[in-house]
Amino acid sequence: MKVVVSRSGGFAGIRTTWEVQVEEQPDRSAWAELLRGLPWDEVSATAPQPDRYVYRIRCAPHEVVLSEQQVSGPWKDLIDRVRGVNEGH
Amino acid sequence: MVRVTAECHTRPMTGSSHGFSRCTIVPPYLLVRLARVDDPRLAAAAEAARRSLMRDVPIRELRAAAHPTPSSSVHSGVRGGAAARVRGHVDRAVSDAGGLERLPGRLVRREGQPAGADLAVNEAWAGLGDTHSLFWNVFERDSIDDRGVSLEATVHYGRNYDNAFWDGERMVFGDGDGLVFNRFTASLTVIGHELTHGVTQFTANLTYEGQSGAINESLSDVFGSLVEQRSLGQSAAEAGWLIGEGLFTDQVQGVALRSLKAPGTAYNDDALGKDPQPADMTGYIETEDDNGGVHLNSGIPNRAFYLVATALGGNAWETAGQIWFDTLTSGTLGRTVDFAGFARATSRAAVTRHGAGSREHEAVIAGWTAVGLGGGLGTGSRPRSGTGPGTGVGRATVVPAPRPE
Repeated sequence: MKVVVSRSGGFAGIRTTWEVQVEEQPDRSAWAELLRGLPWDEVSATAPQPDRYVYRIRCAPHEVVLSEQQVSGPWKDLIDRVRGVNEGH
Repeated sequence: MVRVTAECHTRPMTGSSHGFSRCTIVPPYLLVRLARVDDPRLAAAAEAARRSLMRDVPIRELRAAAHPTPSSSVHSGVRGGAAARVRGHVDRAVSDAGGLERLPGRLVRREGQPAGADLAVNEAWAGLGDTHSLFWNVFERDSIDDRGVSLEATVHYGRNYDNAFWDGERMVFGDGDGLVFNRFTASLTVIGHELTHGVTQFTANLTYEGQSGAINESLSDVFGSLVEQRSLGQSAAEAGWLIGEGLFTDQVQGVALRSLKAPGTAYNDDALGKDPQPADMTGYIETEDDNGGVHLNSGIPNRAFYLVATALGGNAWETAGQIWFDTLTSGTLGRTVDFAGFARATSRAAVTRHGAGSREHEAVIAGWTAVGLGGGLGTGSRPRSGTGPGTGVGRATVVPAPRPE
């Protein structure tokens, strides 16, 4: 199971993508629990704010697009963890 | 001959349950210009313009009373803040988020208070002033809403936050991560860019998605660049036409985030990749990211503006900038206007201010043609006036009827 977080937009308009292969993580059961608990079907569209980031999160069969303002709670936990694995912290 | 055209402004207001609508017979900029005319042959027209401007004063006082500054109510001695404020006085407030992602943060400087030691606060403060100065002293727009609203900024937002944004009420700046990005207040173009999002919000209110979103972005880059050019006293030929120069650390292969002069050339770095902006319609990017590529395709109208400004020469804010400002505030742009519609609107603005077939009109057509958006703009070779003697009072036929794009 793979999680892909893609961040686009922002003032710079630079797209950055982070990926995590869940099976390769030492705490894969915690990852699976976090992914199962995400409100995949409860994301609604919001009005974009100028220069804010846009996050696209994919974990088959799910895919959501979140504005930066919507990134809180478990979504923020997930993004921070995915970035943490990629950035080595 | 002074042609008379009707002009209506509808200004959406945030944080309010009502909008503000105003119609005048002669555009305010024309009144101001006429009032200053010193030619004895036009003395009567100049006097009429001055009287008209005087009649407008109560409206302006009414507007100003809705946004009293602390100093105006204190000095006037009038309770309730109903005293008239002087148009064009900047009112700034800078707050410090202290590394948290919470707004507005702690207020650290208001108008009238001395500078402190915080570099980001001081840069934001000066940038707000420079941006206000461009809009007021060049375009006679009193702050982002033309009603003197306080300009607000928050610095030190988040930890290692590589961004700056406009949240509908204030500009917000991160400090950068120190590896790829420096602090976002380091470039005046970024401050001008964010405040211009405020101007756009209060005028055309362009939908931040797809082509209208890319125009929204381009307008912020254009006026952000003009704030810097005017601050540095640079002509169009002297300017660097870069957005965010100095934001990258010296670890990055790149001079800036974007280039209006040569979109796609601002950076080319092993880790970040190459500046993805297209310079004309042949490179237009279809994408679902970035709200439909608003920071990518903005390179196309950015370059059109650069071409118009450099073709006209002199200071870009004086002629090309005025045409773009007229377009933004014309009241004729639909919220979802596309590139072609925006190009037509700039052409109309050039005709209204300078006449059909004028040097300025030709430059606008040439600029859009070079980026692949010249279709439908005409050759610009029509006669200056299509209204012959005896056709009565009314719109000159060379000015196309304003219609929503």
